[in-house]
Amino acid sequence: MLRASAASELAGVPSSSLVCEGFIGQAGTTSVGLGMSNLPLAFVPGHVGNQSAEELQKNISEITCDAVVSNLLEPPSESAIIVEPSPRDIVFAGSFEDVNRLFYENEWSDGLPVVPPTIAKIEAFLRFTERDPDDILGILLPDSRAATVWSVAVNGVMAGCRPEYMPILVALIEAMADPEYGVEHSGNTPGGETLITLNGPIIKDLDFNVEQGVLRDGFAPNTSVGRFWRLYLRNVAGFLLHKNDKATFGNTWRVVLAENEDVVEKIGWQPNSVEMGFQAGDNTVTIARYTGGNLLASVYGDTPERMMPFIADGVLRQNTWQLVFTVGTSNGTLRPLLVLSPILAETIARAGWSKQDVKQYLFDHARLPAWQFERYLGEWTDHPVRSLKDQANLGKIPKLFYESDDSDRMVPIVFEPDDFMIVVAGDLLRTNCYTFAHNGILGYPVAKKIALPKNWSSQLAEARSG
Amino acid sequence: MEALWLLMPAGQRRSGEWIDDTLVQRVRERGMEQKWPLAGQFPRQRVEVLRAADAHAEVNGVYYRRGWTDGLPIVPPTLARVDAAVRATGRRAGEEIGVLEPLGGIATVEKIAANAVMAGAAPEQLPVILAAVEAILEPDFNLRGVQTTDENVTPLLIVNGPVVAALEINDSYGALGPGWRANGCIGRALRLIMNNIGGGWPAVVSFAGLGQPGRYALCLAENAADSPWEPLHVEAGFDADRSTVTVTRAETMINVTGGLEELASVMASATSAFTMLYAGKVAVILAPHVARDLAGQGWSKQDVKIHLHARARMGTDVWRRSWLSTAHADSRRWPDWVTAAAAGDSVPVLRDPDDITVIVAGGDMPIPQCAYFPSWGFPPCCVTREIGPIKGQANGSVEEG
Repeated sequence: MLRASAASELAGVPSSSLVCEGFIGQAGTTSVGLGMSNLPLAFVPGHVGNQSAEELQKNISEITCDAVVSNLLEPPSESAIIVEPSPRDIVFAGSFEDVNRLFYENEWSDGLPVVPPTIAKIEAFLRFTERDPDDILGILLPDSRAATVWSVAVNGVMAGCRPEYMPILVALIEAMADPEYGVEHSGNTPGGETLITLNGPIIKDLDFNVEQGVLRDGFAPNTSVGRFWRLYLRNVAGFLLHKNDKATFGNTWRVVLAENEDVVEKIGWQPNSVEMGFQAGDNTVTIARYTGGNLLASVYGDTPERMMPFIADGVLRQNTWQLVFTVGTSNGTLRPLLVLSPILAETIARAGWSKQDVKQYLFDHARLPAWQFERYLGEWTDHPVRSLKDQANLGKIPKLFYESDDSDRMVPIVFEPDDFMIVVAGDLLRTNCYTFAHNGILGYPVAKKIALPKNWSSQLAEARSG
Repeated sequence: MEALWLLMPAGQRRSGEWIDDTLVQRVRERGMEQKWPLAGQFPRQRVEVLRAADAHAEVNGVYYRRGWTDGLPIVPPTLARVDAAVRATGRRAGEEIGVLEPLGGIATVEKIAANAVMAGAAPEQLPVILAAVEAILEPDFNLRGVQTTDENVTPLLIVNGPVVAALEINDSYGALGPGWRANGCIGRALRLIMNNIGGGWPAVVSFAGLGQPGRYALCLAENAADSPWEPLHVEAGFDADRSTVTVTRAETMINVTGGLEELASVMASATSAFTMLYAGKVAVILAPHVARDLAGQGWSKQDVKIHLHARARMGTDVWRRSWLSTAHADSRRWPDWVTAAAAGDSVPVLRDPDDITVIVAGGDMPIPQCAYFPSWGFPPCCVTREIGPIKGQANGSVEEG
């Protein structure tokens, strides 16, 4: 809404943005990032979703309308620029404890101790990239700060990364800045969290955990790179709780999911990097945002035919309101992720199934009755698009969603089999898998290749011995 | 080197901008850099660390030059002190109480607490200060006008209820100062909040020609024990066991030693010019001695108001020749009740008896020492807000709220 208002004001057309009471703070901070800190706001009391029509009408007519009129008729207040330190300014000198206290009090840390980002430590990181420290990887909403290589190093140091992780960090921020990902949505109320998937030989170079406990903290590379992502969202993009990060609940940052490419190769599948458009053996990062996930334990059976019904059922159940990303807000952008443990992937592959066969199975079997799909869209989440028939007839969704008028007909949860993503990782011998609930365009999967410095091997050897 | 961890007391807008970036422009326009050589010069962050051999003196020097004090020494708003002050309110540090005009700094509980600490306020005084901030945020208070006018108006704070004894707010001898921490600090805190969060800097935003001592602090309690009448908060509809702060816009305080006739004669003078122009609400303090005498003769508080309203009349010729009538004859529109009365010999200075707030305060002595507070500005305003409970164990003498 505010982005539309900013565009309108830039074009010389007065605007008034309707903002629910719970979003006033976010609106104010977001306006600054749009370079128009004075965007006129008209406040709507409470949450419109749980007011009666009479209450809403009273609130709008008594409070909101006056603000809209004055917003449109009166010139906006003067806009000013916020002064920030330059990248190389020393903002503080003091003990480890004092640095941490100051960083925490000023909302520059996540609450855990950070490594003080000294110039020397930052420079050690910069030696692991051939890019200039001032190179801009993108401009990040909501604060519209330039994402520089320098600030990547600063936040990498703070997160507890090692200097040799720097190439991954740079690629991650290139991905964060990719418009297709949609970083500006990172403060939305469902509060999804990014999952980073890592591919390529860099996994072994840097000792990422790919096996047991792959999604738990405990391994420095997985943990610290995951933390870096969240610190960068805080310090550069500008997502702060109680300000413009409106996550209703949220959750802790996720550690990096590194794929077990040895297993993938052994069973003749392709790694995630290939599905994201790169070559096998390329070092890549993939990011996507998920509100939640669930584990399917004890998948029983020695053939895909016995195992897959349970898995497809689990994938289906993980998606409820998220179906609005398939039909409604951004058609066909739902990308559910399934993480298979190696033994599950091996058992499925042993029967001759490719990854594509698994996706096809999910597409064919992770289905629900049309009436239930429509109930999620309309009755339960009050989204404006409610009829699969209408959308199919308009050509906005595949005909598959409206093959008959039978409301009990089974419809898929995505547009096509390739919308499912599959990664192999975790305990080698446990028959468990994990499903992630994706958030469509509010964090669409984006992958970037990791650029290594020319002398990577020797620098890495030096770093290891250091 | 001593290090102080200080919470920035300056106002931030919702956009994150600091009001000092606007103030520094006004300072330059007015050529007043010498008065505020460090205006706008501070790190744009919530907390800063200041180190010096005598950090207390250093904070005072720096804050004065940044424009954050009233000229008197302040207590450094350290994280620990501000935290204790916030806890005494039982409210969340980041909770917004409102946006303070004219520069639009957000008055969060934490920002209010930082300024209260600077004013020397004790944590248990914070609920009173919060209520006072809520009162000046009432649209009727016209904070923008109060902060920017060329008149010398300031908020007059009157505290009622059990909090008066709990916080030792003086309502007796010397209630308007000096000598009592609560009266001084609560009043001063509100001024620092208006200055630092709202941006009402003298000479660059606030163009009050002279100012007044009440702009340092103007806070007292009603002497309910020595009053024959119901206290102000009960009159305003609150239960007697509640505590409130009442705020009016006071142009000045005028001492009147005498009874109702003397009060009426002062009220009928040029000091009430803006009260007449804006149909304002004024405040009158009656000495306990005077109130008791009147009550003994059967007078109610309402009788006092009716009498003062009837007697406080200015000669029509005096009113016609007055500065406000002649200098601004074209641009000012006097209220209808003034112009109607001007057909006769005299004009009332007040629209209605209920536009007089009457309280009893001061020492119980056989001297009729009263006071009159004419008002400035529109709309007519007298706001009473309930004071929230005092939380935590800020002070041994304070009950858990």
